[in-house]
Amino acid sequence: MSRTTLIIGNDLRRRLRSPMATILFLVIPLAMTGLIGMIFDPGQDNRTKLPPIHLLVVDNDKDIAAKFLLGAFDQKELKEMFQVTLVDAPAGEKLMQKGKASAMLVIPEHFSADLADQKPSRLEVVKNPSEEFLPGVAEEFAATMAVGFSALAQVFADELRIIRGFRSLTLESVTIAEMTPFLEMARAKIIALKTYLSPMLLKVKSVTTKKPGQEGKPLGFNIFSYIFPGMLIMFLLFIIEPSLREIQNERADGKTRRMMFSPLSSLELVTARIFSGWLIGFLVCLLAMAAGMLLFGIDWGRPLLQLALFAIACFWCSAFFAMLNAFFRNKNQAGAFASPIILVFSAFGGSMLPLEQLPAGMRWVGKLTVNNWFITGCRRIMDGASPLLPLTLLAVTGLAFAAVAMIALPRRLSV
Amino acid sequence: MQQKILEIKNLGKSYGETTALANFSLDLAPGEVLGLLGPNGAGKTTLISILSGTLRDFSGSVAFRGQDLFADRRLKNRIGIVPQEMAFYEDLSALENLLFWGGLYDIPEKELKRRALELLAVVELSTRAREPVKKFSGGMKRRLNVAIGLVHRPELLLLDEPTVGIDVQAKVSILDIIREVGRKGTSVVFTTHQLAEVEQTCSRIAIMDQGKILATGTLAELIRIVGEKEIVEVSGEFSATAFSEAIPAPSGAGIEILSVSDDFAMLAFADSQDIPAMMQRLFAHRLHVADLKIKSPSLEAVFLKMTGRSLRD
Repeated sequence: MSRTTLIIGNDLRRRLRSPMATILFLVIPLAMTGLIGMIFDPGQDNRTKLPPIHLLVVDNDKDIAAKFLLGAFDQKELKEMFQVTLVDAPAGEKLMQKGKASAMLVIPEHFSADLADQKPSRLEVVKNPSEEFLPGVAEEFAATMAVGFSALAQVFADELRIIRGFRSLTLESVTIAEMTPFLEMARAKIIALKTYLSPMLLKVKSVTTKKPGQEGKPLGFNIFSYIFPGMLIMFLLFIIEPSLREIQNERADGKTRRMMFSPLSSLELVTARIFSGWLIGFLVCLLAMAAGMLLFGIDWGRPLLQLALFAIACFWCSAFFAMLNAFFRNKNQAGAFASPIILVFSAFGGSMLPLEQLPAGMRWVGKLTVNNWFITGCRRIMDGASPLLPLTLLAVTGLAFAAVAMIALPRRLSV
Repeated sequence: MQQKILEIKNLGKSYGETTALANFSLDLAPGEVLGLLGPNGAGKTTLISILSGTLRDFSGSVAFRGQDLFADRRLKNRIGIVPQEMAFYEDLSALENLLFWGGLYDIPEKELKRRALELLAVVELSTRAREPVKKFSGGMKRRLNVAIGLVHRPELLLLDEPTVGIDVQAKVSILDIIREVGRKGTSVVFTTHQLAEVEQTCSRIAIMDQGKILATGTLAELIRIVGEKEIVEVSGEFSATAFSEAIPAPSGAGIEILSVSDDFAMLAFADSQDIPAMMQRLFAHRLHVADLKIKSPSLEAVFLKMTGRSLRD
């Protein structure tokens, strides 16, 4: 066994013997991803589920068309979408002022009569200004109803007039003799319209895009895939940093001097430290990958490419901290600077806030961070795009940092 | 002539304006146990750091068995160090530590394991070989620290204050180990503040201060070098005048009266063999001597005289 391997193995053994810190840094990003994901999760069927829209309805008509309109809200899908409360106008206004409903639909007086007489009428929607989306849905619904009712009123104008002639619309009050001419007229119109309406020549077919090789699997936006890479790289930095800070600790407590007294060279020691940090980070990545799949159903895309990205990112982190430790004077300085550096990287690099949400200036600075390129690489692989640019950038800068560390760190090993 | 195991010639190292080592020269014969005494700031740690290769930009040369110590890293297989710090992993067991530190040297794996177990027995840690070291007492940790320095059977062992901060029992145990190592032929350089330890353990003593060796030799040689004398305190029934008449000062026989009063006198002897002659003269002058105390010259006195300060300064 080479001396480098011996040191790497020893570091790994020590990490495994006191695994709490590493486990914690693996569990925290998983927990945070879970928490944030649960808050913003659009649902398991990947559709946006809206809460029921609280709609107040003021029925100033109370005639047949208004009854048809209100009856529509009892249909299954609309019943799930709308929570309808019938109110009179003053009560409705009060409730709207208190913001107790998303919208109020006002059915005007003589709504049914006007429709039957082919006169223009108007459905009024009062929207709650404190809500943006739900009142808009209610408005769209009213607009659709207006179009539908207009068409029906125009096609069945005669029938409407007959129906309105009945005093009350109950089975007991209407005789077969009264109904017969109405039904005959309606039947004739339906037969005539059938030519135009059925069969429909144009149909809409809805298709959801799928990744290559993913046919048959439901595909949708998984919020955990969106959050987890950012969290992972932030905590990878926290996990790998102590391995490199060990250089300062061992220098302070005499272990470095003892090591340098052996045939071990300072280059071997620096190499061992860099790969020790890399190994710990990579093992955590493997666990994180598995945990992400099992807990959050994250589809990592092409696993081998993703593993390559993890390996290169871990190397980058390890080499970066090795280089920093060449310039830190002692372990206190290393301890004091490491965490702020990681936090700045994470804030600008998209670990804390989505890259797309950052201001342009921050996004530009973020391009200088490992977090940015790791997240970009992860997403590209997940989306089936080429991760060549992030991989190359991370590999080249990582190698440059390692080279600086190899040159500068042996000087720091001097006691 | 037997080849020196270690030859340090004109070693010099400065930190800015401060000189840590100035023309420092020292050599060591095989099997010799050398005590390196010096107050804080004397340059002991700088010397050890240079020998370990962790300190560069120095002048002079260091040869191990005639070869430049820094020219061939493999030479380090033949040198061991016991640093002042507890330089091992407290979360590992004693055995794991020995195997790790020993693994840095070119020792076959089987031999290393055998040697580690053997050393655990020597430092009396066999029964706790597989326990994490953090559970050990200070003395046990010090013993392990020494064992790690010996794991690769070095020909030269450097010990940097190996008994700091431990109880008497543990100290005795470590000094026994060092003596045993020396007895088996390993050369030892042993830096310490404790004069008694050097007196008990070392075959040769080097006194250093301000980056230089002031003197080297056995304890007796050092005493001779500084001209330190044995002090004799005499008490009894006599007058100061009568005592001075019996032993006139200077006596010319290497006897010096340091002080005299009625019933008490203090004398310095260059040679303790002159004490019986002094007693005969006192009896010849019918002076009644009730008590006689002889104080041998100490290393501390030698050190004080050479460095002008105590080791605790």
